[in-house]
Amino acid sequence: MNHTKRGIFTTTMVILTLLFFYLPMAVLLLYSFNSSKSMVITGFSLKWYNELFTNSPFLWKAVSNSLIIAVSSAFSAVLIGTLGAIGLRWYSFKLKNLFQIISMLPLLLPEIILGVALLIFFSAFSFPQNLFTVYLSHITFNIPFVLLIVMARLEEFDSTLLEAARDLGAREIDVLMKILIPLTMPAIIAALLMSFTLSLEDFVITFFISGPGSTTLPIYIYSMIRFGVSPVINALSVLIVLATIVLSLFLSKFSKYIINH
Amino acid sequence: MSTYFIITDPFSTIVKEPVNIYDISMLGSSVGIKNISKNFGHFKVLSDINLEIKKGEFFSLLGPSGCGKTTLLRMIAGFDKPDTGSIFLDDRNVTDIASNKRKVNTVFQNYAVFPHLTVFDNIAFGLKLKKIDKKIIQKEVFTFLELVKLNGQERKMPSQLSGGQKQRVAIARALINKPQVLLLDEPLSALDAKLRKELLIELDQIHNEIGITFIYVTHDQEEALGVSDRIAIMKDGKINQIGTSKEIYEKPADAFVAGFIGETNLLKGSLSITENKETKLITEKAGSINILINNPKIKSGASLTVSLRPEKINILPIEPTVKITHECLQGQVKEIVYSGFQSRYFVKTKQNIMNIIKVHEANETRIRRGDKVFLEWEKSDMNIVEFS
Amino acid sequence: MTEKSRLGHFYLFPLTIWSILFFVSPLIIIILYSFLTKDIYGGVIYTFSLKAYQSLIQLTYLKVFWFTLKISVISTAIIMFFAIPVSYYIARSPLKNVLLFLVLIPFWTNFLIRIYAWIAIMGNNGFLNQLLLSLHVLKTNIQFLYNPIAVIVVLVYTYLPFAILPLYAAIDKFDFTLLEASSDLGASRLQGILKVLLPNIRTGLMAAFLFAFIPIFGAYAVPQLVGGQESFMLGNMIARELTITRNWPLASAIATIITLVTCLGILLYIRSVRRSDEKDGK
Repeated sequence: MNHTKRGIFTTTMVILTLLFFYLPMAVLLLYSFNSSKSMVITGFSLKWYNELFTNSPFLWKAVSNSLIIAVSSAFSAVLIGTLGAIGLRWYSFKLKNLFQIISMLPLLLPEIILGVALLIFFSAFSFPQNLFTVYLSHITFNIPFVLLIVMARLEEFDSTLLEAARDLGAREIDVLMKILIPLTMPAIIAALLMSFTLSLEDFVITFFISGPGSTTLPIYIYSMIRFGVSPVINALSVLIVLATIVLSLFLSKFSKYIINH
Repeated sequence: MSTYFIITDPFSTIVKEPVNIYDISMLGSSVGIKNISKNFGHFKVLSDINLEIKKGEFFSLLGPSGCGKTTLLRMIAGFDKPDTGSIFLDDRNVTDIASNKRKVNTVFQNYAVFPHLTVFDNIAFGLKLKKIDKKIIQKEVFTFLELVKLNGQERKMPSQLSGGQKQRVAIARALINKPQVLLLDEPLSALDAKLRKELLIELDQIHNEIGITFIYVTHDQEEALGVSDRIAIMKDGKINQIGTSKEIYEKPADAFVAGFIGETNLLKGSLSITENKETKLITEKAGSINILINNPKIKSGASLTVSLRPEKINILPIEPTVKITHECLQGQVKEIVYSGFQSRYFVKTKQNIMNIIKVHEANETRIRRGDKVFLEWEKSDMNIVEFS
Repeated sequence: MTEKSRLGHFYLFPLTIWSILFFVSPLIIIILYSFLTKDIYGGVIYTFSLKAYQSLIQLTYLKVFWFTLKISVISTAIIMFFAIPVSYYIARSPLKNVLLFLVLIPFWTNFLIRIYAWIAIMGNNGFLNQLLLSLHVLKTNIQFLYNPIAVIVVLVYTYLPFAILPLYAAIDKFDFTLLEASSDLGASRLQGILKVLLPNIRTGLMAAFLFAFIPIFGAYAVPQLVGGQESFMLGNMIARELTITRNWPLASAIATIITLVTCLGILLYIRSVRRSDEKDGK
């Protein structure tokens, strides 16, 4: 019955979109097992995976940089963002709307703006560009996502829950530790995973901020694309897509807080 | 006091035995409200409220939504602060004391049961904060689980409970802290009608058992009338009348109270005193009606509003022979609404429609729509609710 | 100060400090820089100048601006053309969780991998060439990359999920009995969609549009990697002024303009949300 309501047009569009989304990934998968160094299909081989794991030290350095930044910036952004979301949800003050818009703006501005602004800012104050500036920048663009996700969760509860806790003798620290944090936990985990993922995949902002010693994985991939493609990149892409699928499976558990903003 | 509901709900499954509990009687305290006012912006929520609630009383704040009753309750709880005036618990001024330091606990309309804690942990919440010995907490929690009839449910999560059960958790969670005053903010309004009645009677029993002061906010007059020792009727941030259920029902202080509590027929007219000292209400719509005047302030020519309860009116198919103490009007039945043990009649007398409720009796003469009927009532059942 | 507002300050303190230090200050600095004089080795000399804005009025810059706008409008239009029926289908599908997951995967996949995949397909010796050669459609290799069409294809690929997700969220909340009511009142399926569905999800449409249009308008990596000489967009110009020409006031001026355009779009969005909330009586 449901089927008749959806016309041929929408069905066609969905099929086209899914093909559009996944054909490129299939091509990468195909090439990652291709024995030739060129794009001509010659035969099955695992050598690019082998080279990826055994003979790509710079790549793995970039991966470790990326992971360090992703983990540290995700935790920092979640800490700042969760407290901020609680403040924005339950306390009113003058210019709250403006404050809220400014807090969300890093999410809405094109990435290049934040990249350029931070680059100029750091050089204006002669900040050395290294992993630390990358860390600071990633926190900045992750905070709005944390705010969105945590606030969506907090929307599900009204303030009587907090009043009930205070009424039963809870001090503010009890309200935070025994009510707010446990209640928000699913959203906090979702925000952590999302920040982690966004940090791992950020290219544009990092591109402007990073210096010689702070190459992250996306920067490394960018230089691989620009300065000579080795089929190792196909193998790497397949692994990254697989990792994404695993992460997305985790995230889809919390998708409620990610999609419905 | 709960008998009221036994009558209206013959199918109620309530066990009337007292709750079997250990000694859980607690110390109640009186609540004093002195000259409380509160504005939200330009909107006056409460204006100069004065109220004395006695130790151990079941006191209700009753009024339509927006009358300020919840705001008043939240001030007693310590969630809101009055702009002016003070709140006393016994003789202690608590106006500036935070909610977590008052010996007052609240049961919320939407339950506010912590969704991440089990029933046990919800009830134990207050005691755990006080770092009380675990064994004592356990014993106390089970006592209060029994009080609210949730034995065996302690491991459940709130999501597995019905609305009524959640509210029981909330009641136990509040009472376990041994408050001197329990505040109930429309605690039953989210429940369905039958459950509401059951839980109300249980609340009444719990109140009798533990003996602390209950302040109960509701917009449902039936709830308030059924269990309260006294009721304050509120409207637009002011108290219209304070009294027992009977006083408020029988002697409403003004037209609003008369209309808000139960149903009523309001008759408007002017007073005329005849040569032989007979007092009559001359109404435009219902004609001339005999009336008793006890208030010397009411002079001839004064315009009056009189309340007459629908069940006080007798409806007769033939003209009554004796009508000395009774008032009698003639009319025609316009509509009959049958509801089981009683029927409601709408009778047109001149231009007025009178609302009459009559309990069915055996062998009664059946009255049909369009019938000519006679209405009679005791003069003393007419309450003057407004005059000028 | 009441206890309550003190608590609010406590919770908002880290966020406020962070926003001021690492977001508001950098933005103010680029606005300031856009009014200063360029230094030869990058950086600025602290004398007021409108030169950056004056040079933006030159034809070469206006052309880049026009090209960027054209690419953004075309790509966003294509994205919306796909996003609306797709999110409608997902919201109505019994398999919506699976379909949503399938949309989320490309959304989460590394941005550069997604671009690279298209290089692997459209490159001079790429998959498409191999395919067409083996099917004898082509006789020699063709370069599909490094032109505006390639930029549009990759931009659509990159930002389509960004539009589908907010649209899906809006359509999922839509009360579909309204469509049944409209067909009951004699509206055709298309009329129902145009006159009942679309007006009711207009804030979702607006969000989808902005989520696609804004990042495309500031695109840097896509035109850089697949666009070639003829697909120079504003983002590339900022990067050139910043790193090669080292004209920081000019880079700041372009960034300031993009920021203003974005803020304008957001304000319009907020106003339209408010207006529809008022209509719904919220």
